[in-house]
Amino acid sequence: MTRYIIQRLVYMIITMFLIATLTFFLMKLLPGSPLASADKLSEEQQAVVLEKYGLNDPIPVQYYNYMVNLAQGDLGISFQFDNREVTTIIMDRIGPSMQLGIQAMVIGTILGMLLGLVSALYHNSPLDYTSTFLAVLGQSIPSFVFAGLLQFYIGVKLGWFPVALWEGWEYTVLPTVSLAIFPIAIAARFMRTEMLEVMGSDYIVTARAKGVNKFGVIIKHGLRNALIPLITVLGPLAIGLMTGTLVIENIFAVPGIGEQFVKAINVNDYPIIMGTTLLLAFMFIFIILVIDLLYGVIDPRIRLAEGE
Amino acid sequence: MDNHKPSKDLFVPVDRTDEQSEKIERPSLSFWQDSFIRLRKNVGAMIGLAVLVILALLAIFGPYMNDHGQYEQDLSRAKVPPKVDGLGWLGMDGTLSDVIEADSVEDAEQKALMRFNNQEEFITTEVLNDGSNGEQVEVKATLDVYSARNIEENFWFGTDGLGRDQWTRTWMGTRVSLYIAFLAAAIDMVIGVAYGGISAYYGGRVDNYMQRVIEILVGIPNLVLIILMILILDPGILSITIALAISGWISMARIVRGQILKLKNQEFVLASRTLGAKDSRILQRHLIPNVLGLIIINTMFSIPSAIFFEAFLSFIGLGLPTPMASLGTLIDAGFKSLQIYPHILLFPAIIISLVMIAFNVLADGLRDAFDPKMRE
Amino acid sequence: MKKTNWLLLVLALVLSMFLAACSGGSDDTSNSTDDADTEETDSGDSSSEEEAATGDSEQVLNLLDTAEIPTMDASLATDAVAFQWLGSTTDGLYRLGEGAETEPGIATDHEVSEDALTWTFNLREDAVWSNGDPVTAHDFVYAWQRAVDPDTGSEYGPYMMNGVIKNAEAVNAGDVPVEELGVTAEDDYTLVVELEKPVPYFESLTTFGTFLPLNQSFVEEQGDQYALEADTLLSNGPFVITEWNHGEGWTLEKNEDYWDAENVKLEQINVRVVKETATGVNLYDTGEVDRVNLSAEFVDQYSTSDEYRIIEEPTLFYVKMNQENEILSNVNARKAIQMVIDRQGITNTILNNGSIPSGGHMPKNFVQHPESGEDFRELNGDLVQTDVEKAKELWATAKEELGIEEAELGYLGGDSEVAQNMDAFIKDQLEQLEGLTVNVESVPFQVRLDRDTAMDYDLQNSGWGPDYIDPNTFMNMYVTDGANNKTGFSSEEYDSLIQKAGDELALEPAERFDAFLEAEKILIEEEAVLAPLYQRARAQLLKPYVKGVVVNPMGPDYNYKHAYIEGK
Repeated sequence: MTRYIIQRLVYMIITMFLIATLTFFLMKLLPGSPLASADKLSEEQQAVVLEKYGLNDPIPVQYYNYMVNLAQGDLGISFQFDNREVTTIIMDRIGPSMQLGIQAMVIGTILGMLLGLVSALYHNSPLDYTSTFLAVLGQSIPSFVFAGLLQFYIGVKLGWFPVALWEGWEYTVLPTVSLAIFPIAIAARFMRTEMLEVMGSDYIVTARAKGVNKFGVIIKHGLRNALIPLITVLGPLAIGLMTGTLVIENIFAVPGIGEQFVKAINVNDYPIIMGTTLLLAFMFIFIILVIDLLYGVIDPRIRLAEGE
Repeated sequence: MDNHKPSKDLFVPVDRTDEQSEKIERPSLSFWQDSFIRLRKNVGAMIGLAVLVILALLAIFGPYMNDHGQYEQDLSRAKVPPKVDGLGWLGMDGTLSDVIEADSVEDAEQKALMRFNNQEEFITTEVLNDGSNGEQVEVKATLDVYSARNIEENFWFGTDGLGRDQWTRTWMGTRVSLYIAFLAAAIDMVIGVAYGGISAYYGGRVDNYMQRVIEILVGIPNLVLIILMILILDPGILSITIALAISGWISMARIVRGQILKLKNQEFVLASRTLGAKDSRILQRHLIPNVLGLIIINTMFSIPSAIFFEAFLSFIGLGLPTPMASLGTLIDAGFKSLQIYPHILLFPAIIISLVMIAFNVLADGLRDAFDPKMRE
Repeated sequence: MKKTNWLLLVLALVLSMFLAACSGGSDDTSNSTDDADTEETDSGDSSSEEEAATGDSEQVLNLLDTAEIPTMDASLATDAVAFQWLGSTTDGLYRLGEGAETEPGIATDHEVSEDALTWTFNLREDAVWSNGDPVTAHDFVYAWQRAVDPDTGSEYGPYMMNGVIKNAEAVNAGDVPVEELGVTAEDDYTLVVELEKPVPYFESLTTFGTFLPLNQSFVEEQGDQYALEADTLLSNGPFVITEWNHGEGWTLEKNEDYWDAENVKLEQINVRVVKETATGVNLYDTGEVDRVNLSAEFVDQYSTSDEYRIIEEPTLFYVKMNQENEILSNVNARKAIQMVIDRQGITNTILNNGSIPSGGHMPKNFVQHPESGEDFRELNGDLVQTDVEKAKELWATAKEELGIEEAELGYLGGDSEVAQNMDAFIKDQLEQLEGLTVNVESVPFQVRLDRDTAMDYDLQNSGWGPDYIDPNTFMNMYVTDGANNKTGFSSEEYDSLIQKAGDELALEPAERFDAFLEAEKILIEEEAVLAPLYQRARAQLLKPYVKGVVVNPMGPDYNYKHAYIEGK
């Protein structure tokens, strides 16, 4: 097992290196420059500004410099925020996004699994139809529509929670709920499908026949099997949520990273685009590793397969 | 037990020939025939299918059901609320109303008139709260938009900010969204399932390399890919299609891989392999059908994400070029005036939800129909 | 509420069903709701008690901004947000006050030499930086030298100073040392500025962010960390930034050491970054912010409110036409495009925020004739009339001259909030011209600028705001090969008029003004270089208890120095 993990970590570094290289050259293909108001500058002055960012060097030199700095954890200096380090900018913004993402994931997964479980246990009953309907609704209405309605009715009309801004935990309630809707829907649907499948399988029927009560079976055998597809889907989704969703962040004025990323793309702030891309990629790869390890923990058969 | 032992005399041997004993009484059904029969019995799935067919037909013929073009603008009829003769009770009577608060009834009525540009003859006011209980006076003013603007014909879904007919635009948008939905589903089914299946089934080094490729693809955000597409091509359906094709199938591939890892060492697979089945046969006949439920469910999830991905791109100005419409762009435009002109958002939102719900119900039916374990 | 709100209600109902289903499964959620309730009422009580105790309104202003401050370094600032908050925290030689008149800042007065080339500013002796250092003439010398120093990499420094301050161009090109720049400190409180040529608008220029002073020892001590955080910057103005949470917002407090502190009533300004108009409006409705800008949709709803107001801005939007394109090289084709667009429709329906159709390349209420006091716009009138029939005739002539039947033009979209509708509308309007197809391309702002520089466009929705109060800021854009021209337009007559206005006529305000009037006629009426669209305005809601905020036509959008809260 340890060997496997070490091997995977080595692969991880290679993958990160490839991603960094790929994004670097993709960025070089994109148009634009760090000049905020190129229309007001003479060509000489533009050259001066480019020099400041080391953009006058030949591309291989730029690439070498970037990689050397990257190895030292230095992502360079932002184009749009003069002199501000990309690392600091990203760190400033990732906090709120991660907090919202984690809260939404936890709430979403738990509620979704409960909803899915209820559906599966009372298959084809009105309860099943209702919860399936809610799950479908949750996945088909865009989250920003929910967000807008929540803000207007809960925030403005009822005044239960703050309308927007980011000044304390109660400010996280509405954005968390808006974000949680999608994971609830996903978790519920997958849970239902998997539980139905598992409940019909021989070993569950046997366990039930041997007199293990319904809930015991579900918890001991059912859940464990249903978890595999669930974590496969929810892992990357969690990263997606944690790294910020532009629209929800805009609606609730959350100082998160999603908004910043899109802004960076709009103004061609390459250092921030690259930095965020690398962070995102790192989190994805890391989560994928964790999921692969979890497969083994949850299902002994996969552990055997990996050992082959 | 002994008490009930029947006497042998009660049994008469059936006269059977060898030929008869081999005869199959039930009609021989292929996997697909059987699935289809079971699908037809599922009422929910059939309703879902019917809704999809109706929506598809409306998407095809809807735009021609009135005389308005999807790009035809007229600012004099901008933001007109929906009106359908005979559906006034549903709110589709072509009026706008607003509740005005003020200190006195006169003030409020005055403001109500100003609110609708003093078109006095078309405004009716109704006092909701005359302030006798110490609260603010509330007056509800209703403006008959169609007579005020002298509009003869009815706009069934109202009009948008440029006076374009929402009915026509909604159905044109449905076309685009349905195309993206089918595209996403197809990419998922073909690339995702094959990739995940092969990766998990062969395992070992193949799996390792294939998973690293996925990690790299996942690592580069969609948005960066899309911007590159737009550089090479023009913004529009084609670049969205390619971006989806590059990255849309990854989560499917991972799910299929996870499931097949779980299944591939189970007894029935071992049995089949021992009997000399080829890899492709094992994948096609044993593994994929067993993962089908999950595949379908996940496809259903990739459809809304694809539709919303397109909407998101429009949101940040990288999607369909104006003035083309998709349900995503319509919802996006409507969201901006959610509190004031909800009709602009409502109809596209209802249709996108109907599409999703229909797909889901149908998918559930398909899952049950295809599941080999539920075969009678 | 509207009648059609049943639609919303249905959505809300479904939503609440959903929520009910969720909270049913978790006790935590319902508990926390109660907590929040009690907390809110608590804080509500305490604040009302405080108010009762002081007996006066709290002097706190709560505002929104749509973007983060990119930098507080005066030499590097380029955008409206930065200039706004630099203006609130730092006094330059002068500051912009009521009616766009300059009012004293660090300078008390100034003398201009006979030839108008040497300006001598007398500085006040009681101004200090927030670290206690006195504000001296050396701070200006350092700041201006830094702005044109090629090593600083400032974008606005050379743009604002080249051709204005003596030797700026040479310094910026690195040909002469920064000490050669035409600005010197005669003593600690006398600043002498030498100009390249007479600049009639120099006084208004000194209020601009790039000309603000910098404390040399502090800036050098902070190095490249200068002005990145609240504690790495200095102020000498009415307010100091005490808290700066990037992306979230920032807080300004009254500067007790400000030389004019007794005239500053506001104790605190809180600014939060909010991008969505709807969110801003909701925050305004719940009383969390005191001012919000409205989009077209919200104007319909709030235009009857007592708190609604419209602020005119001298910012123009127009369609730029690339004359390197064969079709657009034809003047009749350009005139047809000018005339076919319904500008009234744009301002009334699409923008609906008080913007007005523009009829030239000079905003209304921006500059007045130095003798008669008449407005530039009124003197020249509308140089473009919307006339679809005439446009079609001109277009037919153009097609004949070009020998074509069909024409296809690309159109680079605008970057405002309403861009989508606007672009769709303009496309539709232009296509009234027979045989013309317009392909709209929506690109990010930065990409549009790049393509403008490379002249890689046919039509382009573009905008321009003034950098100082003088017709020159709009008129010198279209001289041959000007950095902002990028249309391929070149006219000797136009060039010589602008040239004359800059040189011989600099000391003859009336003739100079007439030259600009003449130039605009050439630009818009004769040559149809641009198709004017509209002059932007802001529709906003402002709480009635906010008083004394001055709205500026350029530089910082607002001046809060004299603002106060009354009767909250």
